[in-house]
Amino acid sequence: MKNGSLRSNRNTKYIILFLLPVTVLLTVFFIYPIISILVLSFTEWNGIEPITFIGLNNFSELFGNSVFRTSIFNNLVWALSAALLQVPLACVIALILAREVKGWRTFRTLFFLPNVISLVALAMLWRAMYNPEFGVINNLLGVIGLEHLARNWLGELNTALPAVIFSYQIYIGYFMVIILAGALSIPKTLYEAAEIDGANVLQQEIYITLPSIRGVIVTAGTLAVAYALRQFETTFLMTAGGPANRTPVLGLYMYRQMAGFHYGKAAATGILMIVLGVFVITGLQKIFGKTDAAADSIQ
Amino acid sequence: MATPVQKKSFSPLQQTAKIAKWAVLFVYAAIAIFPLLWLTMSAFKTNFEIETSPFSLPAVWQFQNFINALSVSGLARYFLNSVIVAVIATLFNLFITSLASFVVARERFPLRKVFFTFSTAGVLIPIIAFMVPYYIVITRLGLYDSLLGLIITYSAINIPISMFIVSSFMTSIPKELEDSAEMDGCSFWQRYSRIIAPLAKPGIVTAGTFSFIYCWNEFIYALLLTSSRGARTVQLAIRFFTSQFRTDYAGLYAAIVLTMIPTVAVYIFMHDKIISGMTAGAVKG
Repeated sequence: MKNGSLRSNRNTKYIILFLLPVTVLLTVFFIYPIISILVLSFTEWNGIEPITFIGLNNFSELFGNSVFRTSIFNNLVWALSAALLQVPLACVIALILAREVKGWRTFRTLFFLPNVISLVALAMLWRAMYNPEFGVINNLLGVIGLEHLARNWLGELNTALPAVIFSYQIYIGYFMVIILAGALSIPKTLYEAAEIDGANVLQQEIYITLPSIRGVIVTAGTLAVAYALRQFETTFLMTAGGPANRTPVLGLYMYRQMAGFHYGKAAATGILMIVLGVFVITGLQKIFGKTDAAADSIQ
Repeated sequence: MATPVQKKSFSPLQQTAKIAKWAVLFVYAAIAIFPLLWLTMSAFKTNFEIETSPFSLPAVWQFQNFINALSVSGLARYFLNSVIVAVIATLFNLFITSLASFVVARERFPLRKVFFTFSTAGVLIPIIAFMVPYYIVITRLGLYDSLLGLIITYSAINIPISMFIVSSFMTSIPKELEDSAEMDGCSFWQRYSRIIAPLAKPGIVTAGTFSFIYCWNEFIYALLLTSSRGARTVQLAIRFFTSQFRTDYAGLYAAIVLTMIPTVAVYIFMHDKIISGMTAGAVKG
């Protein structure tokens, strides 16, 4: 016993030393920023002149601004389509692969591939494909005799937002991978028993697979919604918020404030982004039950 | 008990299900993967071919496009910047997080759990919300528009995820190995450097892979914290290509393909590690 306490005394300085670099960086890049945006959100500051406290003015001005309101609304559309499109699609693909169809590992590897490619490259690729003159999409529509559907996808008011969202949410790799891992961990004997009882494939998926992987699906949904709320690159590079301010999201709005030296407003937007995230995610967990906390730790 | 009547009836459904599932897989592959193949193929074509026959293979494979992309846009410099930032930020991140993970996983001290929570909670925060403070910090440190500024920022941003992966790996190493080493007179540092860190190598490699991919692909803070050729990374370069290659689509596609090579190469060699790393935390039975 004595030996133990002696050892820990001896090791204290090493323990502190080993934790020091991480602690310093976490303080500078996580603790300070949270406090900083919280404080700055109540101020007006352009980075040069003295900071002035203006109470809740930033927030009331933000909510009074129609572009800001559009941004929040667009973020909610992003989130909703993540929950209603991206995750169900991931789920369908994962359940198919979980039946260990021929070459399922190859499909898994292939479908995850876009997740290691930068959002910038993907955004530029889709921008080229949506191009009204040379774009592949209009070209393809012409080939299959649907020329009348061809349009300036990113330039028209009604199609710009869906076109941007689609180009991002078609990539389901991460959600597919975690749902698939969940489905693969279900004991095969359950399916064999169901088969003997005469349950068909669809019934097996509905009554065995889906209830068993409920937790993973909620996790995937929560993450998909969280990512949808912190969108920036795809919108910034594909439409920059246009046409006619139809497509901005909070991230883009914050960047514009920042670029215009409205640091207080940018900070307030940041706070609202975090609050919106917490609000939506706790809401989802209230409705659908708790997710696995560990899963939230993996991005 | 099995009822033969019901068993018979699911055969046609089985058939339909089989066709449906292959249809879904191929339609999805066509939408998600085909564009990437198309991009790569187009990078080898002439501009005339891209316009007139967008879906056919290149008549002659134009490797010249890649040379043009490197020389015309000065892509080589941005490439070098990205390599420096991603490699150094990843190595630094792994070094400091493996030190901290070692202590968290292998030592008993007050507030151990609190420290672990504090060090991993950052993944829940949308880092993009920190635009203002990161800009202030990097400017005040005199690191605006420098590779060092990006290196520090990226290695900090990746601390939570690396801590999570590396420390859970280190926790799973059996205690006996360490005890016998201590018996043999290993110092605190040697227990880390000779025993635990080498044994946790698979975890460290996984964390490193995630960090490298993140650093290579990061855009927002590269955009916000740099302003000149000397510090800009490839992701920013792609954006500026659009104006440089206004009429040269082949050059633009070649440039985009070049910027994708490092992470795709890492993925080709490491995909099993990446996928298992992704699922390790997400599924616990």
